[in-house]
Amino acid sequence: MMSSLYRIIVIGRNTLTESLRQKVLSVLLIFSLVLVCCSVYFSGIATPGLDAAGLFDEQIKFVKDFGCGAIGLFGFAIALLSTAQLIPQELQTRTIYTILAKPVRRSEFLLGKFFGIVLLLALCVALMSLAFVGTLYWQEWQGIALVQNVYGYGTPSWHADSISVGQYNHEIDLIDTQVRDPQLIEAVLLIFAKLVMTSGIALLISTFSTSTIFTIVTTFMIYLIGHLESTAREVWLGRGAETSIWQSGLLGFISLLIPDMNSFTIVDEILSGNHVPWSHALNLLAYANVYLIILLALSIVIFDYREL
Amino acid sequence: MMKIRLMESSAVAGSTFAVETVGLTKRYPMAWKRKILVALDHLDLQIKPGEVYGLLGPNGSGKSTTLKLLLGLIVPSDGEARVFGLPPDSLEARRRVGFLPENPYFYAFLNGDETLHFYGKLCGVTGPALKKRVDELIDLVGLQNGRERPLRSYSKGMLQRIGLAQALIHDPDLLFLDEPTAGVDPLGSVQIRDLILRLKKMGKTVIFSSHLLEQVQEVADRVAIFSLGKKVLEGSLESLLTENHGTQIHLSSELDAAGQERVRKLLGQAGIADGAVRFSRPHLSLEQLYLRTVQGGVGSTTKDSNSP
Repeated sequence: MMSSLYRIIVIGRNTLTESLRQKVLSVLLIFSLVLVCCSVYFSGIATPGLDAAGLFDEQIKFVKDFGCGAIGLFGFAIALLSTAQLIPQELQTRTIYTILAKPVRRSEFLLGKFFGIVLLLALCVALMSLAFVGTLYWQEWQGIALVQNVYGYGTPSWHADSISVGQYNHEIDLIDTQVRDPQLIEAVLLIFAKLVMTSGIALLISTFSTSTIFTIVTTFMIYLIGHLESTAREVWLGRGAETSIWQSGLLGFISLLIPDMNSFTIVDEILSGNHVPWSHALNLLAYANVYLIILLALSIVIFDYREL
Repeated sequence: MMKIRLMESSAVAGSTFAVETVGLTKRYPMAWKRKILVALDHLDLQIKPGEVYGLLGPNGSGKSTTLKLLLGLIVPSDGEARVFGLPPDSLEARRRVGFLPENPYFYAFLNGDETLHFYGKLCGVTGPALKKRVDELIDLVGLQNGRERPLRSYSKGMLQRIGLAQALIHDPDLLFLDEPTAGVDPLGSVQIRDLILRLKKMGKTVIFSSHLLEQVQEVADRVAIFSLGKKVLEGSLESLLTENHGTQIHLSSELDAAGQERVRKLLGQAGIADGAVRFSRPHLSLEQLYLRTVQGGVGSTTKDSNSP
């Protein structure tokens, strides 16, 4: 058992090294970091006629939306591109023969490869999140400077008006609350879980696919259907009695086959400042885990029977 | 060159065959053409531990399929294969087997050192033992200048040598070498030939395929010739290559015309007709000439029929 785990880790680390040494992924990662940091610049384009508090509110929301959006988008590209080429590339270059000729089970090879991609995603999300947090703190510093300027903080008239001091402290507290929002950890975790699920779908398809393009296109389609299935459910099942058996059956089949990606849009609620309890986020993480286990089990079974 | 420490093969003392196949068959259904491609047809093999066995045959004759079946990389359609009495796809069998695929491509982003460490860890070789083993193998295959270079900058010959090193990393009892000298210069080929002979002395079993018939002749105890998926000829080189209708006499010095006449007369007295005797001067093969020139350090001399 321990040696099996060790082999999975060795293959995983090698996969991570391979991904990090690929120029395409490095460029993608650097570009995403630059984009996350650039959200500060874009946030400067504000709606005219807002007061200091309103302006900051709008800017911080923009930074949050833009940052999390960039993490999700670039994470998706990295997850899809790196997972889709895992197996076809190994078969094309025949490196898989040299590994499976060693005392390595096919399941260990597959899990090791997937573990490497999860490590890569964790690293990318961590780096992008760091850039995101840095950008938020920069925005906080800007906001505090703006409020200080409005209330004349540090000038001789400071402290003269106790009402203004109270208002100033209130606005500083508001900035703090918006920037140091613990719910952002929830948001990043949910984005990461969605990326790992996307990667799991791509892995499953690559176990029987013969080309990288096929894997990318099919995974993308499943991702889209995963986003649309809950909308279809709402539209069809919302009519109550009007729903036919085949519609309910089809929806049931799709929701069993394809994970409900739309449930992860709860992240948007967090970014809008609405409270999403941890229990809900943990439920979603558990759902992602169960789905991932099913995806990996299916991948192992298919890959075990595949002619190399 | 030959500084490596190779352990005595424990399998030599055993009574089982190193490799045994009974009616081993591999068929590939070609669904679109409604045909079945027979890649290997009822192969019976019995290879003893410590034997060097050559697989000969044109491209597509079933040599690589045989090796893949013996490594458990593909599943037989019919028949059975055993490696040291074990199923080829078992971890126990793979611990005793090393494999060099044809035209191997390894992870181009790793350097020589990292490649051997990766494969070593997969085989459970770790720590100082692995470091020592890597040093030995780098020395053995003559890749000191490739330790720190990424494999993407390796020549074909260097790739073949690192492939050979990874096949030996866990000191296997049985080696499968698929075209080990493909793309290697004649000097490198001789080094690989010497290595096979050295492995044979250590009691290792070596099964290899090659197009270089002269090399096969130099190292193999037995050969099998394949054609269209079938083993059409098998035997020891001595029995296959000896012609029973003639006698060769080798002289280490030149025999002039008078000497040849005297020999003819002597043979005539022994009842051998004058027309049955033929005198010729020994010829070098082009490979022998090349090696003698390169290894002997002969300068850029020219020699043709008009030379004095």
